[in-house]
Amino acid sequence: MPPRTIIRKEEWERRLREVQVTKDDLNRLIMDYLVIEGYKSAAEEFSDEANVPPPVDFESIESRMVIREALQRGDIEEAISRMNDLNPEILDTNPALYFHLQQQKLIEHIRHGRITEALKFAQDELAPRGEESPEFLAELERTMALLAFDSSSSAPPAISELLSPAQRMKTAGEVNAAILESLSQGKEVKLVQLLKLLCWSEGMLADRADFPKIDLQEGLVATSRKEATDDSIMRE
Amino acid sequence: MRSTARSFPQPSPALLSGTGATPAHIYYEPRVIRVDTTCPTSLPSPPRRPGAPSAQRPAMAHTSAGPSPADSVPFPRPAYLDHSALRHLLQTDTPSQLSSSPKPDLAVVRTEYAGGRRRVQRSPSFDSDEEDSITPGEISSRHQENNPLMSSALLRLPTRWSEEYRSPMLSVSADGRDLTYQGSPSNSDKDAAAARTIFPIPPACGIYYYEVEVTSKTNNNKGLVSRDFKLTRLPGWEKNSWGYHGDDGSSFATEKTGTPYGPQFGAGDVIGCGIDFSQNRAFYTKNGALLGSVFDNIGKDCDIYPAVGLCHLGESVRANFGQDPFKFDIEDHVLQQRNTTWSRIQTAPWTWPVADGDKDLTPASTSTAETRAKSQINDLVLSYLSHHGYARTARAFEAQCSARGGMSTLRLSKTFPSSSTSRVSDHDQIMDMDDVPQTPTIAPAPMDDIEIRTRIVHAVLTGDVDTALSDTRTHFPRALDADAGLVLFKLRCRKFVELVLEAAELKKRMCAEDAEMNVEADGEDKGISEGMGMDVDDEADISSTGVTNGFGGGSSAIPIKGKRKASFAYYSHSGLLGVIAAKYGTALEHAVAYGQELQSEYKDRPEMRAIFKRTSVIVAFEDPLEAGGDAADVAGQGARVSLATEVNQAILLSQGRPAHPALERIYRHTAASLTQLALIGNGAAALVDMPRELLDA
Repeated sequence: MPPRTIIRKEEWERRLREVQVTKDDLNRLIMDYLVIEGYKSAAEEFSDEANVPPPVDFESIESRMVIREALQRGDIEEAISRMNDLNPEILDTNPALYFHLQQQKLIEHIRHGRITEALKFAQDELAPRGEESPEFLAELERTMALLAFDSSSSAPPAISELLSPAQRMKTAGEVNAAILESLSQGKEVKLVQLLKLLCWSEGMLADRADFPKIDLQEGLVATSRKEATDDSIMRE
Repeated sequence: MRSTARSFPQPSPALLSGTGATPAHIYYEPRVIRVDTTCPTSLPSPPRRPGAPSAQRPAMAHTSAGPSPADSVPFPRPAYLDHSALRHLLQTDTPSQLSSSPKPDLAVVRTEYAGGRRRVQRSPSFDSDEEDSITPGEISSRHQENNPLMSSALLRLPTRWSEEYRSPMLSVSADGRDLTYQGSPSNSDKDAAAARTIFPIPPACGIYYYEVEVTSKTNNNKGLVSRDFKLTRLPGWEKNSWGYHGDDGSSFATEKTGTPYGPQFGAGDVIGCGIDFSQNRAFYTKNGALLGSVFDNIGKDCDIYPAVGLCHLGESVRANFGQDPFKFDIEDHVLQQRNTTWSRIQTAPWTWPVADGDKDLTPASTSTAETRAKSQINDLVLSYLSHHGYARTARAFEAQCSARGGMSTLRLSKTFPSSSTSRVSDHDQIMDMDDVPQTPTIAPAPMDDIEIRTRIVHAVLTGDVDTALSDTRTHFPRALDADAGLVLFKLRCRKFVELVLEAAELKKRMCAEDAEMNVEADGEDKGISEGMGMDVDDEADISSTGVTNGFGGGSSAIPIKGKRKASFAYYSHSGLLGVIAAKYGTALEHAVAYGQELQSEYKDRPEMRAIFKRTSVIVAFEDPLEAGGDAADVAGQGARVSLATEVNQAILLSQGRPAHPALERIYRHTAASLTQLALIGNGAAALVDMPRELLDA
């Protein structure tokens, strides 16, 4: 094993200062996040306040968000119809996405206790697709298992989580990514990519070196208030 | 013909004892080696201290003796290396110090293990003795401090075969690229001869590639030899060497038993060899076609050198370390590997990188963790917006987050009470977002604060220092105390600058009015003269003299005088001019008085006096903004921007907030980590191009 490198705080700070990154660069990261995550009015304000050119038409953010909101409140019909208004090719060319939307619709039926509709919908719409692909079939089975439990709390987590808001968010995220892709817009949030890179690099380096780890809390929380107070006392 | 990547491990007595076959060619000395350009092969081997901690300090020295660097034709860094994140450190040409060193007999090229393994070339004048007293444990950190890896250390690329590390049966051409076998005409493996390059391959390349063309006419090229430090064996047969042998097409990884790998090769073939530090594997190409990955764990804990072995009389090869275009499309290969590396990193599992207070709160499921990560990213964004004072964006963002329930705790104002997170909930209990674990520790930055701070920053940016000062004094008095009042002083200096600029501006207006009047006088002499009873020609004369003689660059007395004369002719103009002139006088007096006040008030503060001295240079210029140089630096908008940033930071610090937004620190921290990783040999990190992946539009 090679010896561990030790990097002291002052040295590390010096290197941090050497990193080339500007406020404009970071502003673009923020804009990327606001656009992809669909914070339309924030993106508009930001474009104006920080003088960052908008990477997309703000209206496209709006329609993406309407679809997302429909999905998040469980209105799958509305979402599908709006997606087709926007660009029918998105669903035509993406069978997995279409299946997941239908699955979400089934989940919503079950959530609201519409058992008859749920069964009919599953037989008419989902079962034929389940025959097409083992992955679809497994998902269908998992969803149908929801009917076996009288309340979601008694179901095992792998099944009951279908009823969670996270499942709706997951479907909404898939739809969002597909729409972004159809607009030739990046679908991965760069901010998240940065965080993943941070985790990876810090983890790898920690195996080989001792260096000051990042403390994000310090970035978001007022931790140095005490120091500031001490300083002012010293001066007075 | 065998083209290989091979490794020279950390020196050990065992390896040293094996050098008998080629005495005086290889030296191990932890720090310094003598270089004698006139007689490279007759150097005495420096004594090796038995107690030297070789495992910790394997700083293998290289010499650059042999043909002088001038014989090698300099060439730019090969294009495929532009995809390394550390490309700026990768060097092909020989620094001029090598030949111009005042002490040519001392080590001019020095390598050391920084970060445990990576060698870094040091400056020629480095005192080799100073570390004798240092214990191995101290070395790395010490070197980190002394040796700014990030900017000044350069990583040398292999560019030529070594005159030192070669079998005596091989001759090296003057440009360092051709190797010719000149040994006895036997056909025995015992006569194998190998050579390697002077410099090892920096893992910071990410992927390194070179090609070798078999140039000899003889068909029988099978004997290519390179063997650890004996240099009398073929690469691949020995420990720490890896080879692809032309006679049978087999690959050899540190043992004499080959594995079928590729086709045979011989005269006229171009064999490429690459090492991919992101996977620690090698690959070969033949005449531009990739033969596939081979070997495992190569280059993990030792330096790797390009090497070639030959074993028949008349055999020769010519290497291409990037001097010429490669047969193989290495750049495309590197791009593919770079994308693979990026997606590998991006698909790795990750967690929010905060050791926060609620570690014990185990997320119920991954989806909950995702939701939570999302809300923390929102916090990150909001804290950034707040930091830079993007108040309207922050408010819009916060409102949207609250409506969606995607904000955990960071809240700007009382208008969005904490219960708003569940506003989105519908009648389904399961949709209640409140089950998301919350981080309770993040302090809100009240929206009022942001707005006042933004106003102050804006005031500085527009030159309204008085407003900035009074607002800061009222709302953030502690900010002005920061750095023992330095921020306050800088603001006051800026006020002085603004006063001077104001005066300069008035003067410009004076000149402009005056010039305008002259134009009128010249153009309308007949018409205007009627009612005024003035000798217009006279007037015009004076004015035009004034114009040509330097209203632009002369002293202030000239334009004022000119204007007074003019006032006879044009009452309205002269009235205006008089007012401006009076204003100018007052403004200048005011500025000077303010400057004197500053000077006397801070006379006991040398650091502030120095700043003021630099600032006061602007008085010497009629129009500091146009003057360029120091004056423009001090007076220009750039200075306002940096002062505004400083004031913003001081206010944030006085509120116990960090001087830099978390997002910025994340970026810098990540970049610094990647650089360090690449320097200590993590090839994947070397292939991550942060600006390209994250910043380019």
